[in-house]
Amino acid sequence: MRVALSRVGAALALLLTVGGCGTGGGTSVADKDTLVIGVSKDQPGLGKQQPDGTFQGFDVDVARYIAAHMEKKPKKVDFKVTQYSQRESSIQTGKVDLVISSYSITPERKTKVSFAGPYYVAHQDTLVRAADTGIKNVRDLAGRRLCAVTGSVSWQRVTVERGVAAHVVKAPTYGDCMTKLTGNSLDAVSTDDLILAGFAAQEGRSVRFVNAPISDERYGVGIRQDDITGCEDINKAITEMYLDGTAAKLLQRWFGATGLHLTTTVPQFEGCG
Amino acid sequence: MTEAPPSRPPARLAGVARVVRIRTLPGRIRGFALLAVLAVAAVFTVAAFAVQDARDGLKVIGHDAGPQVVATGDLYYALSDMDAQLAAVLLMGREQNLGAGRAKALQVYDQRRSEAHRALLQGSNLASDDPAEQQTARSILDALGRYEQLAGQALQLDQQQPHAAGPPSDQVRALYRQATDLMKLDVLPKAYNLTLDNGTTVRRTYESKHGAVLDGIAWVVITGLVLIAILVGLQVYLTRRFRRLVNPVLALATLASLVLVVATVGLLTSEASHLSKAKKDGFDSVLSLSRARAISNNADADETRYLLDPEQADTYEQVYLDKSQEIFSVTAGNLHQYYQQVDQRVAAHSGFTGFLGLESQHVTLAGQRAAVDRTLQGYQTVQHDDARLRTLATTAGGRHDAIVLRMGTASRDFATYDQSLVSLTAIHQKAFASAIRDGDDGLSGWSVGLPVAAVVIAILVLVGVRPRLSEFR
Repeated sequence: MRVALSRVGAALALLLTVGGCGTGGGTSVADKDTLVIGVSKDQPGLGKQQPDGTFQGFDVDVARYIAAHMEKKPKKVDFKVTQYSQRESSIQTGKVDLVISSYSITPERKTKVSFAGPYYVAHQDTLVRAADTGIKNVRDLAGRRLCAVTGSVSWQRVTVERGVAAHVVKAPTYGDCMTKLTGNSLDAVSTDDLILAGFAAQEGRSVRFVNAPISDERYGVGIRQDDITGCEDINKAITEMYLDGTAAKLLQRWFGATGLHLTTTVPQFEGCG
Repeated sequence: MTEAPPSRPPARLAGVARVVRIRTLPGRIRGFALLAVLAVAAVFTVAAFAVQDARDGLKVIGHDAGPQVVATGDLYYALSDMDAQLAAVLLMGREQNLGAGRAKALQVYDQRRSEAHRALLQGSNLASDDPAEQQTARSILDALGRYEQLAGQALQLDQQQPHAAGPPSDQVRALYRQATDLMKLDVLPKAYNLTLDNGTTVRRTYESKHGAVLDGIAWVVITGLVLIAILVGLQVYLTRRFRRLVNPVLALATLASLVLVVATVGLLTSEASHLSKAKKDGFDSVLSLSRARAISNNADADETRYLLDPEQADTYEQVYLDKSQEIFSVTAGNLHQYYQQVDQRVAAHSGFTGFLGLESQHVTLAGQRAAVDRTLQGYQTVQHDDARLRTLATTAGGRHDAIVLRMGTASRDFATYDQSLVSLTAIHQKAFASAIRDGDDGLSGWSVGLPVAAVVIAILVLVGVRPRLSEFR
């Protein structure tokens, strides 16, 4: 009997905590009516702001699909330009609900935000001037001028991970890297093939791919760390996007003409929480 | 009764009042008894709902999605190891006796293949009734068929073009690339995502059912207190009105109610705790360790592929680091820094996250600490081998030694580490199974006991008031 009574006591203590269940922190994106999604404004093919203020690109279409296929109810989308260097802080401070902006999942970023997805696995490659035939793989970048975009990890994959002694030239955006590359103030831009493909399409024959991929870049959907339910719902939406053929259609639409080898099956997810 | 009084109750209440004739003494006794019986029904209802919640929770976590996590984890392992064995065979070339030897590698390949097929043919063991999950399980089987075809072609062609240990011919490598890409990009992600889906099902079921059982406890306490208050009130009323001592049958009903409420609260509290133990000490670790095992096996195969396909070596090295970082995460920009950090952090037993970090921060079971330590040491040895292997592979003339190391020591050390992961998982599986068993045992008998107890109490109440009512006939 004493045991049973102490259990009643424990139960009453538990009662007091019942009200405290839920997702913790703020509201889950699963429960919102409108999602504020951070995208980039200057990446052709992925996320580019048009003169009329709207956004276009693969990331933008993926964002729309996810918002429209969240389990509880479809959501409206409000796009917000998010700088590369501010992606983590924008999520942490709640300025945006999600970031979908060629956002690679890395252990360092995972200490600050969580990732749903990846919704695509890109590969890092290098773009050089067409006339520059001396660069055949990433190790040939030793001693050459390599573009380093603030907040991006791509250049570190060359200089830190591979230990290639390239001269780093800082730039705020990849658009800026491209201007500098064609203007001969740097020699190489090394980053995800999807990003490079968009620019290469604009530049035409003046630039070329080195065609020596050095990494898997898993594009995730950045989300607040404690929003496990939201993260799981987004994964479900991404699975659907591949099952119903939308992913293949979108990839074909945005990158089909570039000759890139595209993967149209669902990527291995990172897992939530 | 032509003119309705201003305080006249609505028609239905008036009807009830007529039946129990609440204004008269026997009417009040009947009213009390009716209230008591309703309260018994309320206690029964909320208790039955809470018991059902506990039962549903145990079913999904213990008998459906929980075991599916283990099954899909095993499926992933079998698939990943098929590709690892294929890479090893192609790397060995005509040197038949590297490590355990070519014949053994082919034998393991066949064994994993039949394991994978067995698992896939029993799709219900892998996924719930969710159509998307079922579709995924079927498409794994289709893609696996194409993989086996490519693997067969690569093996056959490799046989026809004998080569020294090391990268096979361009044609074989091209075939292998197609095969491994199919495995890596199509088959394995689907198997892994099935594991995650089942994990999601368990997490959501736990959150809702565990919460519902706790709410149920609150409701049982509230309705139980109301029932006891009514019975005590009736007792006091009868004692005063009839100037008698305690009505023994009603007293028995009160005592039985108290016992029922206490026992139900006790049961639900322990069911909530079994669910919580099954989830937190068992399931969570089983899930994260099975993911760790899947990714470890894949990373280990990336080491072989690094030697097999020099053109893709950079990518294989980077994905090896990425995968290692998921298992044992530290701040390190490249593999060299990573090895150093692993040594320091394993020695310090702290300062790392990832699957093994999670596991070593949540030690609650007997034998778990020792098993965690063995796993960490095993992991450290695997990384030492990797460091040596990459140094050898990039030293002039060291390539063959790297292959010998890969097939021999590195392969054995990986098997030791893998085994330690399996033993560690087994500790959690045991805790999981015993919590689920305790939960099931606790509930057995309640589907009969609960209604019987409620009926008995209701009868006691009626029997208790009957002699008093008969005094008015």
